[in-house]
Amino acid sequence: MAAQQQGMAMPDMSNAIVAQDEMGRPFIIVRDQGKKQRKHGLEATKSHILAARSVASIVKTSLGPRGLDKILISQDGEITITNDGATILSQMDLDNEIAKLLVQLSRSQDDEIGDGTTGVVVIAGALLDQALELIEKGIHPIKIANGFDEACKIAIQQLDKVADEIKISADASDPNLLRAAKTSLGSKIVSKSHDQFAQMAVDAVLSVADFERKDVDFELIKMEKKVGGSLEDSSLIKGVLLEKDFSHSQMPKHIEDCKIAILTCPLEPPKPKTKHKLEISTAEEFKALQEYEQKKFQEMIDCIKNSGANVVACQWGFDDEANHLLLANGLNAIRWIGGSELELLAIATNGRIVPRFEDLTPEKLGTAQSIRELEFGTTRDRMLVVEGCSNTKSVTCFIRGSNDMIVDEGVRALHDSICVVRNLVRDNRVVYGGGAAELTCSLAVSEAADRQKGIDQYAFRAFASALDTIIMTLAENSGLDPIDTLSGLKAKQATEKSSQLGVDCLGKGTNDMKELFVIDPLIGKKQQLLLATQLTRMILKINDVIISGKDEY
Amino acid sequence: MAFSSQTPTIVVLKEGTDASQGKGQILNNINACLAIQDTLKPTLGPFGSDILIVSSNGKTTISNDGATILKLLDIVHPAAKMLVDISRAQDAEVGDGTTSVTILAGELLKEAKTFIEDGISSHFITRGLRKANELAVAKIKELAVEVKKDDPAEFRQLLERCATTAMSSKLISKNSEFFTQMVVNAVLSLDQNDLDENLIGIKKVPGGAMEDSIFVDGVAFEKTFSYAGFEQQPKRFTDPKIVSLNVELELKAERDNAEVRVEQVQDYQDVVDAEWKIIFNKLEAIAATGANIVLSKLPIGDLATQFFADRNIFCAGRVASEDMDRVLKAVGGRILSTCSGITSDDLGTCANFEEVQIGSQRYNFFKGCPEAKTCTLVLRGGAEQVIAEVERSLHDAIMIVKRAVSHNSVVAGGGAIEMELSKYLRDYARTVAGKQQLIINGYAKALEVIPRQLCENAGLDGIELLNKLRSAHAKGEIWYGIDFQRENVGNNMASFIWEPALVKINALESATEAANLLLSVDETIKNEDSQEGGRGRGAY
Repeated sequence: MAAQQQGMAMPDMSNAIVAQDEMGRPFIIVRDQGKKQRKHGLEATKSHILAARSVASIVKTSLGPRGLDKILISQDGEITITNDGATILSQMDLDNEIAKLLVQLSRSQDDEIGDGTTGVVVIAGALLDQALELIEKGIHPIKIANGFDEACKIAIQQLDKVADEIKISADASDPNLLRAAKTSLGSKIVSKSHDQFAQMAVDAVLSVADFERKDVDFELIKMEKKVGGSLEDSSLIKGVLLEKDFSHSQMPKHIEDCKIAILTCPLEPPKPKTKHKLEISTAEEFKALQEYEQKKFQEMIDCIKNSGANVVACQWGFDDEANHLLLANGLNAIRWIGGSELELLAIATNGRIVPRFEDLTPEKLGTAQSIRELEFGTTRDRMLVVEGCSNTKSVTCFIRGSNDMIVDEGVRALHDSICVVRNLVRDNRVVYGGGAAELTCSLAVSEAADRQKGIDQYAFRAFASALDTIIMTLAENSGLDPIDTLSGLKAKQATEKSSQLGVDCLGKGTNDMKELFVIDPLIGKKQQLLLATQLTRMILKINDVIISGKDEY
Repeated sequence: MAFSSQTPTIVVLKEGTDASQGKGQILNNINACLAIQDTLKPTLGPFGSDILIVSSNGKTTISNDGATILKLLDIVHPAAKMLVDISRAQDAEVGDGTTSVTILAGELLKEAKTFIEDGISSHFITRGLRKANELAVAKIKELAVEVKKDDPAEFRQLLERCATTAMSSKLISKNSEFFTQMVVNAVLSLDQNDLDENLIGIKKVPGGAMEDSIFVDGVAFEKTFSYAGFEQQPKRFTDPKIVSLNVELELKAERDNAEVRVEQVQDYQDVVDAEWKIIFNKLEAIAATGANIVLSKLPIGDLATQFFADRNIFCAGRVASEDMDRVLKAVGGRILSTCSGITSDDLGTCANFEEVQIGSQRYNFFKGCPEAKTCTLVLRGGAEQVIAEVERSLHDAIMIVKRAVSHNSVVAGGGAIEMELSKYLRDYARTVAGKQQLIINGYAKALEVIPRQLCENAGLDGIELLNKLRSAHAKGEIWYGIDFQRENVGNNMASFIWEPALVKINALESATEAANLLLSVDETIKNEDSQEGGRGRGAY
């Protein structure tokens, strides 16, 4: 029976799991076997490495301050221009399983550290590249992975050894933080105004950082973007930015000494939640209803007035009648504020969110120095800026730019540098950038290689040359001769015993990264190496791939 | 009569029914199982590789766990399905050794195949295998080394070694020191009489390195969906009082299908007030208990969130049921389905509570719980697949440790016990007269597949090492197995490659049973697929 149907439509049996019955006819063991793709053994490992290599080569050219940007066009025609590794990879619609693993790799670096997303992919790609050579020599993939793990340990020890502690103060003009933020902005599109962006990043982190716990709550930093103006018009608002306008066009555009009532109930007569019905049969009853409603409106306004508030921020909408009454009573109002924005507003102004008009009391009001309405050029878009809040632990970064793509890239760049500053607040140990950290690790690992017995020696050397790839890529992207730069730097680091020498990407005339203050947080670098090594292990360990065909109904 | 000279064809089965039978059928089944065994073979042992499986809905799994792979292969051949079942049974029973049980069963069948081809009755083979199995199990019990439970330090060491062996073939083998501690701590934190591994919560957070995983002596769960006002609640307590509810704290209609008829406009306000009163009564009752943390399986609405924020109470609604159960196990107290009449007995407590950012997610940690009979492992890793594989590996290790806690006798791994059993059975076979001798010898030979495959996967010379092992065992070195560090043979008991004896016993028994079952099937009647050719099921 099996063989009969087989005969009719002979699927590709060349790589399926096949057994033969006594007559020599193949029969099927696994569902949809014919449609399944299967790769096995070294062939599988090799094809994985090739896939990973092609992904790594895509992002490779984005590494470093002279790295180039990529244009990504999504399926619905949206354009993204970026050189952020995690963004590039997540926007590429990859089909290969191994390539997807690399995407996740960069995403976890992004989640954890927020910076170095390109570097981690390039390292992983380089490690796999090196592994391929070893596999071709006939070394067992898992032994290579074991060797890489050992080498990674040594590299991390070396990082710990060369790490410098830098002084960090809660002062917004702290030069160390500023310069660290600048390093991370170096490769981004905003680099022409990077002083300003660096200052924004530092200010933002410092105003929300909890130095005691060494923790920074990112939920308190909000990013708002608006197309128009130039990147230099971007600013940090120590307060909240709401993409709303006042509910009535005749309300004043600027208010000082605001007392804000934060409401989660609509300015409408209260309604029971239970299903209800009111039957009106006579004109008197109708009139009574109307009076009741009017009375309710008046009561609400009175409640607000009595509490001393002069601004009403409401999660829901108002009736036109209510709107008019608010204006008549000199109350400014904002309506339809989203839940998270309302919460941010409450935190910033130290107010309480009030669910009922009856519960409004003066102590529950939020306070802010001013609320003003921003207008943008000739467009009719308006935004409200709440400034001088009683609680400064909530800030909004407002990014401007001439087009969508620049604004988006600005947001990403700022996010990266905020992450760098945050990491420094968490752990103030740093290593030097520009490939200096990789180079010293590479030297340490290749030195250790000679002491290894057996196959590890090869793996160590391969690990060291994978790290060299970073430096070569940096040099190449900066328009320098990669081999010349690498060998020169290596010799210099070895003779001068200095771990601070890196690639002079911007042509500043010195290789001393400490002098140029190109730094990377230690935890970020460590994470890069660990993640890349672990992923390499995972990929090397796979030697059998079974892919189900897509269902065809 | 016209047709007395010829027998008419009698149709018993519906047309299209597949009925194959006889010796051919047995061989057929064996071949199918061997094909499956071939797929799993490369995953055995510390140098076993992983298999990447992409299912038809596009989900990727990278695994080394026999049971997981077989489950995902989607096997339709009825005989081959048997192998899936035994690996699953092994998974359920002991949780580890799923690959070796499948390989062993396959190898037993391979041995049986030659006998069947030689014309030995399958019943005879079955009897022989059963006999050999009995002997082997008795031998394991005799050889197994008992570790004393009295000395906690030594006992812990036993557990750690068993866990390390279980992890050796997995992705986490290089970090096994770290994870061993984690697993042993986790199992020891459970109620030693019950050992319900469901109380070990495993949470997965992508990002970070594998060593960033955290062991929590209490409960941790992801921040639940929150309403406005949540951020104004305190996120840190020491010695908090915790109330666990099964109540919806939201302003809403009390009954879904109720309808109120409002007679007069004035009554309108009363209805609204009544509704508010219901919710406020609930909230005030909770606040009056002095609780600092309010957890509920059902939603906690924005009104309640803000109410609690005003009173410096932390709340989390829509807590997943299993998280809630573990919270109760950890902090004590009871789940309440009403807000009235809460007494201090109903409240739980722990040493400290904190909301912590892990990767891109925020987690609620309840640490230092007084009655902690539960714990949580928060796993990290560079990619989702990495974490999923770490979880599976830890599950295996947890099960092994759990088994080792209740059955504290161990044998040496790395093929040592298999070689010793093989030698023992060979010796025994010589004393048996008749065909049984062949079968028992066949069983003995099948056992050697484990060390042979271990060598093959590690790229070692299997034939040479196997012969070295045979000679070592002949000289009485019962614990000699493959030593991957030195790429040679060595005493695995001394190098602490330990496995609980129970795992081995169970593996042998299930493998033998499966082999016997397959050997005794000589006819398959398969009804035709009701939808002929439809749904692209393919041919069987």
